[in-house]
Amino acid sequence: MSNLDGVFRREWGPAVAALARWSGDFTVAEDAVQEAFAEALRAWPRHGVPDNAGGWIVTVARNRALDRLRRESVRPGKELAAVLDDIRARTDRVDVHPVRDDELRMMFTCAHPALDPTSQLALTLRLISGLTVAEIARALLQSEVAVGQRITRAKNKIRHANIPLRVPPAELLPERTPHVLACIYSVFTEGYWSTAGPSAIRDELCDEGVRLAGELCSLMPDERDAQALTGLVLLHDSRRQTRVDADGTLVPLEEQDRSRWDRGRITRGLERLQLAAGARGPYLPQAVIAAIHATAPSWQQTDWATICVAYDRLIEITDSPVARANRALAIGFRDGFQAGLAALDEVADDPRLARSNTAASIRADLLRRAGRRDEALRWYRVALDHNWSGPAREFLRRRIAECAADR
Amino acid sequence: MHYFALLLGPESTSAPDPDAQAAEMAAYEAFHAKAATAIRAGDALTPSSTGVRITGGADAPTVTDGPFAESAEVAGGYYVFDAENLDEALALARDIPAAKYGAVEIWPIVEYFPPSKPLGKSWLALLLEPPANAHAPGTPEWDAGITQHQKFGAAAGDRTNGGAALHPPATATTVRVRDDQVLLTDGPYVEGAEVANGFYFIDVGDRDEAVKVASMIPATTVELRQLMGISGL
Repeated sequence: MSNLDGVFRREWGPAVAALARWSGDFTVAEDAVQEAFAEALRAWPRHGVPDNAGGWIVTVARNRALDRLRRESVRPGKELAAVLDDIRARTDRVDVHPVRDDELRMMFTCAHPALDPTSQLALTLRLISGLTVAEIARALLQSEVAVGQRITRAKNKIRHANIPLRVPPAELLPERTPHVLACIYSVFTEGYWSTAGPSAIRDELCDEGVRLAGELCSLMPDERDAQALTGLVLLHDSRRQTRVDADGTLVPLEEQDRSRWDRGRITRGLERLQLAAGARGPYLPQAVIAAIHATAPSWQQTDWATICVAYDRLIEITDSPVARANRALAIGFRDGFQAGLAALDEVADDPRLARSNTAASIRADLLRRAGRRDEALRWYRVALDHNWSGPAREFLRRRIAECAADR
Repeated sequence: MHYFALLLGPESTSAPDPDAQAAEMAAYEAFHAKAATAIRAGDALTPSSTGVRITGGADAPTVTDGPFAESAEVAGGYYVFDAENLDEALALARDIPAAKYGAVEIWPIVEYFPPSKPLGKSWLALLLEPPANAHAPGTPEWDAGITQHQKFGAAAGDRTNGGAALHPPATATTVRVRDDQVLLTDGPYVEGAEVANGFYFIDVGDRDEAVKVASMIPATTVELRQLMGISGL
């Protein structure tokens, strides 16, 4: 059965994309592919998996969609005939087998900026990655009903507002590609950074983020930001197994067992980084920072000077207060913790950080390293008050215990 | 397909500066020249202080004179576009001068009934509904609404001159341009408030007559605003 799972996972996105192009409707596409998979589940264990599994799925799905249109249509016969003629015209024009361009079209339509970013993410996970609504709900920490409604609303908007299923024309690409990149990155980060929720779903999201980023590179080989994104997620992902310990507590980079980092992913990430030279988006400097950590022999022998330069570049691009706060930590290692604290003071009052514990936990860390335990203790407690995710809370409690013991 | 663009922005309370006004007119004329093939209708609205809102439905209408204090962003103009898809409609919206200081809501139109007579200084009756009352085509509520509107159409006769029904608010997109960056948001500009759901053009001699016709429209709220008649569209 796990064999079929693999086939399903691989064929879902391309099949939905092909059916969406063919029928012009995302709901028809999703339902038809779902039915074709159910049919495959009955037929394949008896007759074996066909050589062209994807073609089989698309053909069955197309027939199911036609059956359903005939069966469910309450429109007068003349109109139904027109619908079927329209579909036949499209079918004659295009190959029924999944083609890779279909997937790219789907990526751009699901990540259309007229859709709310969370809807883009949910739609991508459902229609391209094939996660169930229940899985997406667990991943996003929302109720199934809310996720189901969100996906339905997004599909209705695509249909009624006529969001085209296409790769945008060249003049629109520079502003639209970043939305696709951001959507894929959020697939990954929902799995990687969100430490809440069951770990199986988080692993699946990490894998899917890496897979989608790689897909985008092969579909848009000249897109350097896609290469940078792929490098970034591979380099982060190389540490997936070491960043949480057996008890589920977050392990800081400094204390991770570097011998357990995934060398294969690091190598692939560094290769992507080579191809990303000249990328203008926020992913390249982040990938550079991840690469320096991934290749440093130890925490002590980390090239903080280059990390600071990469943060400067990132701040130039994004003006992100979180990046400024993290840069303060890097400055602390480059120029001394006092300098780090001074850099943190410049950003700590940014209202955009008001609801996050980033500044507090970085301040606590710098104070602890500077030997100012009492102050560190106070700021760790502030950070703890702001943090709701289990593994991170455990980590902060551990630091609080350490600081209290050292006093 | 057709899209309705509703221009929203802060309404100036001071006397207009002639230079600024001329510059704005020139910006709109440039937009009209650029988008000529896609624009089906469009005009500026007279200030909201000259408009009225009618609530309570056709059976017990309550009429309130403008301005309408609760909203800082006021409808200042509208367009109807004929565009291939949402991307084309959004490309038009970003070029509307109001997108730079206010916002433009782009609504897909279910069905557009083009005016059969020149609009001139007709009245725009904007139908407003709480989001929960804005129904999708094909639902029983929608069909019930159609029947009511047909009754209204029969009663109003040639005092209406075209109009349109809009898709529900989840299909709308808000376009703003700040520092040359286009910012899109999913849904109408103000969340939760009463939102556009359709409109009629009312072609009558004076304001009292327009209020009378608008009071018969089946809608939670009707905002009645006179067209400036300056666009020449």
